[in-house]
Amino acid sequence: MSVKAFELVPVIERVKLMSDKAKTQIECLDVCGKNVYIGTSDCFVVHYSIEERLQPNGRVTFAAEKQGHKYLVVKKPVVQLRAASALNRIMVLCDTTLTLLNMFDLEPIVTGAKVKNVVCFCINENPVRTNPFSVEICVALKRKSIQLYTVTEDRMMHLRDVTIPEQAVTVGVDGVTVCAALNSQYCMVNMDSSHITDLFPIDDNVQPIIKRISKEEFLLSGPSALGIFATSAGVSQRPPMQWSDGLTAVSFVHPYIVALNDEFITVHSILDQQQKQAIPFMSGVYIGDFDGRIFVASGREIYSLVPIPFEKQIQALLADKRVQEALDLAKNANKTGMSRDKFVKMFKRIQQQAAFIEFSEKNFDEAGQLFKESAIDVREIISLYPNYLPASVNFIRSVPPLHEIADINQLSRSDEAAREAFKAFLKEFLEDIRGTSLAYGYKLEVDVALLKLYAESWPDKLSELLSDDPGCDLGDCIVWLERHGRFHALGQLYQHHGESEKALAVWTRLMDSNVDDPSFPGLEFIVLFLASLTNHELLWKYVDWVLEKDEELGVKIFTERPANEPQSERLRPETVVDYLHRFPRAVITYLEYLIFQRRLEKEKYHTHLAVLYLEAVIKLMDTNGTKKEELDIARSKLRHMLQMSNLYRVQLILGKAKEKEMHAECAILYGKLEEHDKALRILVHKLKDFGAAENYCQVNSRGKDPAACKRLYHILLSVYLDPTYERRDTLVAPAMALLNNADAEFDNVKVLQLLPESWSVGLLAQFLTRAVRTSMHESRMTRIERMMARGENLQVKQTFIEMQRDCIVMGEDRACAVCNRAFNDPTFVRYPNGVITHVHCAKNKYICPVSGKLFSAGKR
Amino acid sequence: MSVKKKADLKVIILGDYDVGKTSLICRYINGKFQKQESTVGAAFFFKPWGPYNIAVWDTAGDERYSGLSHFYCRSAGAAILAFDLNIPKTFESLWARFGSILDAANEDCLKIVVGTKSDVLDESTRDVSAEEGRKLALELNPDLDQAYVEMAGAPYFETSALKDENVTEMFEYIFQRCLPLSPEQHNRFKGKKSTIDLLEDSTEGPNRKKCC
Repeated sequence: MSVKAFELVPVIERVKLMSDKAKTQIECLDVCGKNVYIGTSDCFVVHYSIEERLQPNGRVTFAAEKQGHKYLVVKKPVVQLRAASALNRIMVLCDTTLTLLNMFDLEPIVTGAKVKNVVCFCINENPVRTNPFSVEICVALKRKSIQLYTVTEDRMMHLRDVTIPEQAVTVGVDGVTVCAALNSQYCMVNMDSSHITDLFPIDDNVQPIIKRISKEEFLLSGPSALGIFATSAGVSQRPPMQWSDGLTAVSFVHPYIVALNDEFITVHSILDQQQKQAIPFMSGVYIGDFDGRIFVASGREIYSLVPIPFEKQIQALLADKRVQEALDLAKNANKTGMSRDKFVKMFKRIQQQAAFIEFSEKNFDEAGQLFKESAIDVREIISLYPNYLPASVNFIRSVPPLHEIADINQLSRSDEAAREAFKAFLKEFLEDIRGTSLAYGYKLEVDVALLKLYAESWPDKLSELLSDDPGCDLGDCIVWLERHGRFHALGQLYQHHGESEKALAVWTRLMDSNVDDPSFPGLEFIVLFLASLTNHELLWKYVDWVLEKDEELGVKIFTERPANEPQSERLRPETVVDYLHRFPRAVITYLEYLIFQRRLEKEKYHTHLAVLYLEAVIKLMDTNGTKKEELDIARSKLRHMLQMSNLYRVQLILGKAKEKEMHAECAILYGKLEEHDKALRILVHKLKDFGAAENYCQVNSRGKDPAACKRLYHILLSVYLDPTYERRDTLVAPAMALLNNADAEFDNVKVLQLLPESWSVGLLAQFLTRAVRTSMHESRMTRIERMMARGENLQVKQTFIEMQRDCIVMGEDRACAVCNRAFNDPTFVRYPNGVITHVHCAKNKYICPVSGKLFSAGKR
Repeated sequence: MSVKKKADLKVIILGDYDVGKTSLICRYINGKFQKQESTVGAAFFFKPWGPYNIAVWDTAGDERYSGLSHFYCRSAGAAILAFDLNIPKTFESLWARFGSILDAANEDCLKIVVGTKSDVLDESTRDVSAEEGRKLALELNPDLDQAYVEMAGAPYFETSALKDENVTEMFEYIFQRCLPLSPEQHNRFKGKKSTIDLLEDSTEGPNRKKCC
């Protein structure tokens, strides 16, 4: 209720009337530009001119000067009076007669332009005809009818009339629709079709009022002091409005409806139908809006209701913390003819002010919404939190201030829960706007504030923030993080700024001391960091420290380096291997990395790794109670290495392996030395692993020519059938299995020579059948091949003959197709398409030099 | 509150003083029950329903506003005639007092008879039977065809704004009758289907297949 929408300013303090009798009163008035016309109760029309002045203090005052007056002789009050500036006339209703007066000298127009028996009239502000030098009026007559007239300078032309059931008390008009208050009810009259729509009854104790408020919409006074809206169609589109009793007149200036009764002027908003202001005003007789200005008259004085600027009204609402009303009003301010840009600027500022009010009231959802909508400078918010702005940023809050908040300490009044709530709001707001256009240009401020918030209350979020390209500078963030014990985050911050040395110093301190930072992932994190560190000098400083703590993890510094890292002197494999000597497990891992992953082909590394593997195996063999699985794993690793690599020094390993009777390993090593007989004898005689023996043949014949392959299998077979071996009968079965193995290949003749005489044919049937079949097949295949080759040969011959058959006559007139000169030598080139050139002009025998045609070699 | 939007359907609620008209509307619009002051003149609510805007007009039951009710009824597409299930007189008023008021509404105006305060109704001492209510509802809507009544039921509801019984159903009945949504609109605006109906989709199949 405390909106101050209007201010009452006197215009004419005491109307100087012709006869200064006490009973003379103002009845009606009209304001047209600077002219004020007053109709009095004793039949005078008085003309004033007024001047509106804006005082330096922002107040409006009026100066009035009387211009003249006219007595209309009939001794009856002037009921209604309207100026028609386009015609230089005023229309006056007095003694039930409507007449015209000259606007300047107030002399009557005597051309017979008058209407008699008039109850009331009104001007059509939405006329059907659009002649600018005429005015359309609606007149209610005593004899139950309504008429429309067109009024010109000297005439009133009757347009239409409609008969109504009762006499009309007051009328309003818009287009072809007349809204009329009859004695008992309101109705809408369509002047075109004469159709009458009843609205609602009029109570006896209510004075009927009709006010046109917009196109095709009227405001009527209803029962129980309700203001009721009705459209030309006779329906309502707004809820009714609760008015005061005893209203005498109503006027409207968007968005306010101003109503007058005996004691008050009340102001309602059309937006929410609520009363906004009440101005005490005794014995008001008339109120009217004239081109957007409202004037109100008591018996002898005239006042203007000067609207208080929107911004002032809004500021008053904001001062009362009535945010929603202020925003509603602000939204409607663009209807007051403000330019679009100006409006947007003003509206945003109001939103921001509103947002800070909501903020101080802890209505965080609304505040956040408003902050975002108004595109607030985020520093305005951060500056409310002491020390949250980066020290390097020099921010001054906007002037004039958007709010009166010093900081959140003032708002929370040392209530810890309230403080936390404010912080939680800031956190959510900043997270929300991070990366959006709102934070544009303020990445530093936003991220530093977030870092500080996280450091204080949400430590688990720090790491996420710091890994996502934070805009934090080092500045006071370091102090802040240290104070809150967020050392890991501090390290990350250094890392982000490329200060690896400081970062490592923080992390190693974190590892060595017992400071508890739950967000710190431990040694592995440091190792991975070192693994991707490009500063190798710095890296070496920490390698010792890491390897002392954990060899296997530490070696990852060397093995998990980024793939695209340029080679560096400090990280050459030799240097690293030399360095790692002290750490046996680390050196194995590193060599494995060099050989298996980087596939370095250096004898030194291969031998080194093989020796290390071998030593590990020997160590396991020598210690008692070693688990068999453990040993198996170690040996299979060794064997894999021996088998896979060709670069290590075989003799060196072989010596040691023989010494320790490691037969499987020896077999592989003999294989590497191409001493297959020895290898296979070990496999067959010592290990009795026939599968491994066959596998050996397969592995060692891989990639070799069939003859070598046959030789290998033959060696194996001869080992099986070796007559000097005392337990050779046990080897018959594997020998047979080998012979029948489809993968094994043999020189059949040699096999037959090798086989003992005593073996029956039945035993060998399978092998023999296969041998014969293979032999037959080969023979046939060879014949087919031969015949096909012969056929091909014939075809080539035929082509050759065909090509040579045509004779080419070379004469003096024959010129080379390329250089166009004559042939001097007997040699020349002929292309298959008949083009003939010099030998030296034929650059490419597959491409015709004239047409560019391509001749493929095989094409005929 | 913007009231300038054009409403696609005007719904008006009529009934005697204190039968709970405003409570019924508030329960539907705001989803909660609260103590209401007596309505002055009339009140107005906007409700989007699917692609449509619906204007719900709440009238004052007080006798002195009778003249206004007539006015606010104009061009209503549906009228809710509310009575208190516990007070037979309010039921009688429906045809005695409000029947004539509805002459101002659209000719095809749907009239819904609604009993309120079913939560305090004692079935044993009940004066207005559901059958009577249903009968009145059918009498008031002579052009409602038999088949529709059998499918959707008679325009008669017994509601409780306090316990939120039958309130939404009643409004949905009105909107579905006056502004039927096509099945496609229904899916889009009501959107409560969480599963995808493959068979339904396949009806579009033949059109799509004509590629090559």
